[in-house]
Amino acid sequence: MSEPKSRREVFLKLGLGAGVAALGAQAVASLRSLVPNVSYDSPTTVKIGMPNDFPDGMKFLPDERLFVFREGKTLHAVSAVCTHLGCTVRAEALSAPETKDVSGKPLRLTHRFLCPCHGSKYAGDGTNVSGPAPKPLAWYHLSLSPDDGQVVVDLARAVERDFRFTLA
Amino acid sequence: MSVKPDKAGSQPHGAPGVHTKPLWSVRPASDREAGDAVVSNFLLHWFPAKTYKPSLDWNYSFWLGTASAALLLLVTVSGLPLLFLYVPSVERAYGSVKDIEYVTTFGFWIRAVHRLSAHLMVAVVFLHMVRVFLTGAYKNGRGQGQKREQNWVLGVGLLLLTLLLSFTGYLLPWDQLAYWAITVGTNIASSIPFVGSAIRELLLGGRAIDQATLIRFYVLHVIALPAAIGVIFLYHMWRVRKDGGLARADRATLLPEKAAEAPSKTKTYTLLGVARGTSPAVKASTLERADTTVNSVPDLTRRILIVVLAIFALVSIASVFYHAPLEEPANALVTPNPAKAPWYFLWLQEIVTDTTVKIGSFTINGAFLGGVLLPGALVFLLTLWPWLDKSAPGSAGVWFPKDRRTQNAVFLAFVAGVLVLTFIGTFCRGPYWHLYWPWQAWPELPTRI
Repeated sequence: MSEPKSRREVFLKLGLGAGVAALGAQAVASLRSLVPNVSYDSPTTVKIGMPNDFPDGMKFLPDERLFVFREGKTLHAVSAVCTHLGCTVRAEALSAPETKDVSGKPLRLTHRFLCPCHGSKYAGDGTNVSGPAPKPLAWYHLSLSPDDGQVVVDLARAVERDFRFTLA
Repeated sequence: MSVKPDKAGSQPHGAPGVHTKPLWSVRPASDREAGDAVVSNFLLHWFPAKTYKPSLDWNYSFWLGTASAALLLLVTVSGLPLLFLYVPSVERAYGSVKDIEYVTTFGFWIRAVHRLSAHLMVAVVFLHMVRVFLTGAYKNGRGQGQKREQNWVLGVGLLLLTLLLSFTGYLLPWDQLAYWAITVGTNIASSIPFVGSAIRELLLGGRAIDQATLIRFYVLHVIALPAAIGVIFLYHMWRVRKDGGLARADRATLLPEKAAEAPSKTKTYTLLGVARGTSPAVKASTLERADTTVNSVPDLTRRILIVVLAIFALVSIASVFYHAPLEEPANALVTPNPAKAPWYFLWLQEIVTDTTVKIGSFTINGAFLGGVLLPGALVFLLTLWPWLDKSAPGSAGVWFPKDRRTQNAVFLAFVAGVLVLTFIGTFCRGPYWHLYWPWQAWPELPTRI
């Protein structure tokens, strides 16, 4: 057994502890208020236009930061957000389009993508070719809106690169 | 009840600790008066009464610390009118900065002073650190109870705060530079495994760059960071004083001791302002040698005034001719090509460009390696360096001492690396971050897609 503590000593420690605990709790409460409970994000499923709005080839949608490609009856969408640090890549038309097997399906490549921030380069299917980009550009799911027949992109739903959306 | 002196002037110096003159004299008539100036004046109280003469040499310290402090003062003062004019709202920030630049009388000048002094501060604080490293001034010399390594750590903190203040500052105009700097900066944070996205969300105040983001960076820029830099700066100055002045002053102890003398009254005053008891540092006997020290008032104060005035004049005049740039309004739809950070971050932009590594099928994003790990390691090493430096105490406060040759060379190699990367980023990077010679024209590219 240790020596019995004087009452004064016990109260002093109790007081100090209560003070520290109170200050700590108030600090935590103040700082917690800085962590947002609600995020007013823009919706991830977006109507991006009637199928006829998409010509053969590529269309860039700046608001969604998305490239939509059309080849006859099929569409696919490639993200324009660089996988390195999130700048918007720019598309550069190839002088001669080429057809490549991508994930087992042939794909006609008409463009390549270049990032203005740190010089990453991507092939037309989104594969990172050079520069600091660590992974390929994302592909997003496309569908048709049942109410007005617009094309809908789901920016929260990345898909494999054999994904094609075929118009009826 | 107060005791009145019999007659005014009968006690010219009053009791110890009582100073009859409200202001200090620029030309003190005696050591006593010079010491009084320091002890009785709030602004001067952190100076010693006597200063070791070689510490004042222009070519020892280049007065870079004083210049940094002068720039901090200037950037703070020029920020005050801007506080009244700038509106921290995503709709109005850009317009308010444009108004400051083109509508407010002298607004362009105030903004230019603020920006120029901020840029100069980054450069001068960096050079101050280089000077302190090269002269081993973070080393404890011969004094007792010195803790110079603590002051070095504070200094590293001040350098980081200077950079953070610059970063948060150039976000406020909410132009293209701001928007894409936040995009890149917060994505670097989110590249940290596990906690990254939470940190990004905390910095942005949500998941998208919006009003919550601007107000966060605004509060950091005008309150949190200035308060931090102010407090640490004051502590930094106080430590210089507690450690016995500049490292060079330690060399006073190498001088032959002053011949023993009958203790004189002035001694109290020449050492006043020094904490009692465990007080510094340098032996008083040599510091009191008349040929090695001068009165801080006016020899030190005059030089400080010269440095501060020179900085003020330089920035103030240059700001008449220099116009702080303002890019296009923030546009989430278009990334500028090339998207360049300000010059002092371009070495980092170079590093995050070059550090994505592939190990087999595993890829480490350059954002994490070059944006977090590498700068983090540099800062860590820099902070710890005083404890890793095993050179003799005698090489503190000397330029290029022999036994610090290797570490000085390595340090200079790092400095040169940063400078070369900054140069490449500034002059050799063009559209799509391709390399161009500085004299080479960039190809014509559409500015918008």
